[in-house]
Amino acid sequence: MRCSCEGNFFMSVQYGIGVDVGSTSTKAVIVDAVGRMVASHLIPTGGSAALSAAKCVERIVADVGIRQDDTPIVSTGYGRAQVNGAGERITEITCHSIGVHHLNPEIALLIDVGGQDSKVIRIGKNGRPADFEINDKCSAGTGRFLEVMSRVLEIPLPELGALALESTAPSAISSTCTVFAESEVIGRIGAGDSVKDIAAGIHLSMASKIGTLSRRVGVVEPVCVTGGVALNPAFRFYLSKQIGVELWVPEEPQLTGALGAAILSLKNND
Amino acid sequence: MSEEKAYRRLETSQLLQQISFRHMLEAHAASEDGNLTWITSGFPVEIPIAMGIGVVYPEQYAAIVGAQKVGPDICGLAEEYGYSNELCSYARASIGATIKPDQSPLGGLPRPQALLACNNICGTVLRWYDAVSELTGAPVYLFDTPPIDDEQLPHHVAYVRQGLHKLVDFLAKKFDTTMEKENLRKVSQYSSDAIRLWIDSLEACKNKPSPLNCADRFLTMAPVVSSRGKDYCVEFYQALNDEVRGRVKDGIGAIRDERVRLLWDNIPPWFQIFRFFNGLAKKGVVFPADTYTHAWSGKVSGDDLYGSITEVYSNVYLNKGLEAKADKMVQLIKDYALDGFIMFSVRSCKRYSLGQMVTRELVTERTGVPGTIIEGDMVDSRLFNDAQIQTRVEALLEMFV
Ligand code: SF4
Repeated sequence: MRCSCEGNFFMSVQYGIGVDVGSTSTKAVIVDAVGRMVASHLIPTGGSAALSAAKCVERIVADVGIRQDDTPIVSTGYGRAQVNGAGERITEITCHSIGVHHLNPEIALLIDVGGQDSKVIRIGKNGRPADFEINDKCSAGTGRFLEVMSRVLEIPLPELGALALESTAPSAISSTCTVFAESEVIGRIGAGDSVKDIAAGIHLSMASKIGTLSRRVGVVEPVCVTGGVALNPAFRFYLSKQIGVELWVPEEPQLTGALGAAILSLKNND
Repeated sequence: MSEEKAYRRLETSQLLQQISFRHMLEAHAASEDGNLTWITSGFPVEIPIAMGIGVVYPEQYAAIVGAQKVGPDICGLAEEYGYSNELCSYARASIGATIKPDQSPLGGLPRPQALLACNNICGTVLRWYDAVSELTGAPVYLFDTPPIDDEQLPHHVAYVRQGLHKLVDFLAKKFDTTMEKENLRKVSQYSSDAIRLWIDSLEACKNKPSPLNCADRFLTMAPVVSSRGKDYCVEFYQALNDEVRGRVKDGIGAIRDERVRLLWDNIPPWFQIFRFFNGLAKKGVVFPADTYTHAWSGKVSGDDLYGSITEVYSNVYLNKGLEAKADKMVQLIKDYALDGFIMFSVRSCKRYSLGQMVTRELVTERTGVPGTIIEGDMVDSRLFNDAQIQTRVEALLEMFV
């Protein structure tokens, strides 16, 4: 991955660790002194944020062959307070923003769709957030929505996006509430809609919810999408149509929060 | 750093306890004499006080329910009775406590003989007081103040004024008393004096460091809501003002290490009032101003007291349009040199919370300072998600780095 601030850091530390404990998955990243990602790991968060963070860190530290005690850690995500050894805890808003800016300094708007929430961040000076909106009250418009729908349709989640892209006439699915949409999907199945049309309707509904959130912050290009859902091609297709712009997706869109945290761990130690 | 150390306690808090206790005792005595009204926060309290009638505020009682962290239980009593959990939690708490006073803080409020509602804060109050009326048998008087969009229309002024005269007739008949002009003048004078001192204490927060934080103002505003018009209320605000002005003179702030100055919008989460604001105090965040405690600033004065009451009580913050709310926030941010703002979207209070998203954008556009909206409730802690709120607030603070 390209690094925007290569050589900018004061070389007092060799490496920095970022840990992003999300509601669904825990991610950890190690960057070297110039901000290059040298190791990463992702596991389900499960029942204990502290444990999943510890496991993740243990793994990447071993991969790189460094001592954890000598390396600064910044934690982020909803479980950030539970990460042992973190020198600082910074919100995922700031960490995603810094992480994306590090990978592509041009990006002006970041849309992150996580397992249980989604956020839209306008990136300002030095990669810091200038404005943000979060949807964390309702699982419609989050990864959870797609999970529920894949279960209802009995299609594995990784296949849902590709199937949806085959449709030319998406079913009408409401975007207000996951529970409500679930019964609508069952209704569409009963009405004889094809599975690919329903799958497309599901993605369209989700994209429209996130489109609204994005317009609230203001769509400014270039736009980046991160989070696990960014890997889903149908979601990207419909979101791009909804907000009327091309989307840039990093190679590993789930890791930008942890990356930002790792970058900040270096900055805080320079 | 301990919580005590980040935050400086007001000496006047002790006096506040005494005056609150006195207010409650007076209410109980009035109820026993068949002379007590329950009254909404925006009601022209000068009228019943001038007529020698006792007053007590269900909204303040509900705040106590919230502060004692029994909101879900007491609101639950109203819900069991059939009220929706979408109803304002102030209403639910007071209805719940009316249904089962023995299970409620302070044994509930003393029983009312009449209920005085003014809809300058919201329309909920009317149905809420109707419900209490059904439970207690006390009649409701609605003092109707049509909302003001731009300017108050002349026929609205005449209408509201007419309502005041009818109120006096209603109270005179119900409580077998009269309205003495001289009494009204005296009560209005006490009320104006208390408000003048209160405003001066609020304005002292323009100083850096700010002598008061949000929790200080939310607690010390109680008498200006419930007891303005009484002599002891003036004494209390004189003591508060002396302490506040003393702090300014000595350069002492409400918090020890003031780094970020924010505006607060809306009612506070009473069940977290110390935890929330003291937690932020530890991070160097102070709230020198808020839209809520600035709402009690209208002084009843002049020769035409009825005219003055009509004007003051029609023009309260919540009775005006969105533009006026944005104007107020912009003005506070400028006057108090604030770095940003937090808007509390209170699930219960649609009137206060409606339009906050747009207001947020307007205010940022006009001031250039960032703000965030957090969601929850002032009494019903079931609607308050700590982790989500913390993320929003911390993300806002990280913008000031
Ligand atoms: S709805 Fe709002 S203004 Fe009305 S009584 Fe409840 S808290 Fe007060």
